[in-house]
Amino acid sequence: MKEHDVRRRVRSEYGRVARQEHSSCGCGSGCCGTGRSVESVGLGLGYSAEDLGQAPEGANLGLGCGNPVALATLREGETVLDLGSGGGFDCFLAAERVGETGRVIGVDMTPDMLDRARGNARKAGYTNVEFRLGEIEHLPVADNTVDAVISNCVINLSPDKARVFAEAFRVLRPGGRLMVSDIVLTMPLPEPIRESEVFYTSCVAGALQKEDYLGHIAAAGFEEIAVVGETVFPLDHIVSEPTLAAAVAAASLDEAERRALLESIVSIKVGARKPAGCTCSGTG
Amino acid sequence: MRRDLLDILCCPVCKGGLVLTVVEENDEEILEGSLLCEACGASYPICAGIPNLLPPGIE
Repeated sequence: MKEHDVRRRVRSEYGRVARQEHSSCGCGSGCCGTGRSVESVGLGLGYSAEDLGQAPEGANLGLGCGNPVALATLREGETVLDLGSGGGFDCFLAAERVGETGRVIGVDMTPDMLDRARGNARKAGYTNVEFRLGEIEHLPVADNTVDAVISNCVINLSPDKARVFAEAFRVLRPGGRLMVSDIVLTMPLPEPIRESEVFYTSCVAGALQKEDYLGHIAAAGFEEIAVVGETVFPLDHIVSEPTLAAAVAAASLDEAERRALLESIVSIKVGARKPAGCTCSGTG
Repeated sequence: MRRDLLDILCCPVCKGGLVLTVVEENDEEILEGSLLCEACGASYPICAGIPNLLPPGIE
């Protein structure tokens, strides 16, 4: 898919998810129908029961692949930027941590998601959370203004990941932290899966090889890059959805290849820091 | 959007500063209006409280 088509397809698919009355159930728009609740998936991804209870109802669309807030070590008064904020779940958890003196900004390119997030913020009375319609490759945020950039299973959907990390670097203050969860691959995908639109919008086909992903973070100028968590993405998030199961079947893989494929899709949590003395706006 | 967050916003394309025009606001926030880039002249609407800061040309 061309870059423009990727964005249109992702926006359209996540707009559809945002308009659904009920929440989804795991990373990716294509993996609903497993019969599990958003809450049970959330606990498995590292959110505490308290976190799940704290955010307004309807904010957790179950689209993440890990809890970046748990590792963001957010402090009172900080400014936080969430790339691909969706229904606003992570923004609201971040808002609790930075308190009244802090602020949280969510950027998402899907208008329906922002409507939903804004409605959730209003319902719960958050005054320190704001949402912007925007692209994570072209952040509408000034240089050196943000303490922590968080993102939960979104950057894999971007057709220009190098640019996303360059933009995150630019907006962070010197010493600011990048804390992201995302899907990466430990081996190349079979061609039919790589070319699959449904696997792209389900956070798989757009995912990079892990070393390439970390390489983009380093190339943007970040230091202290650390993978602080890594788990094979649960099989049933992927194969229990009929469209995805059909795409796997169509790839005509033998059992060993099929197992290798499913084990190669990994969810990682990565932390990194913009050098303390750096007031530059990065390479992007 | 709230006025106090305007200071960290910028044009998504050229990163220039934005000038706010308010059409409708309440005690808390700006509901309708626009943001104009001082540097490149691009204009970004604010609709139902949400600034649309997608780069121009995106449908």
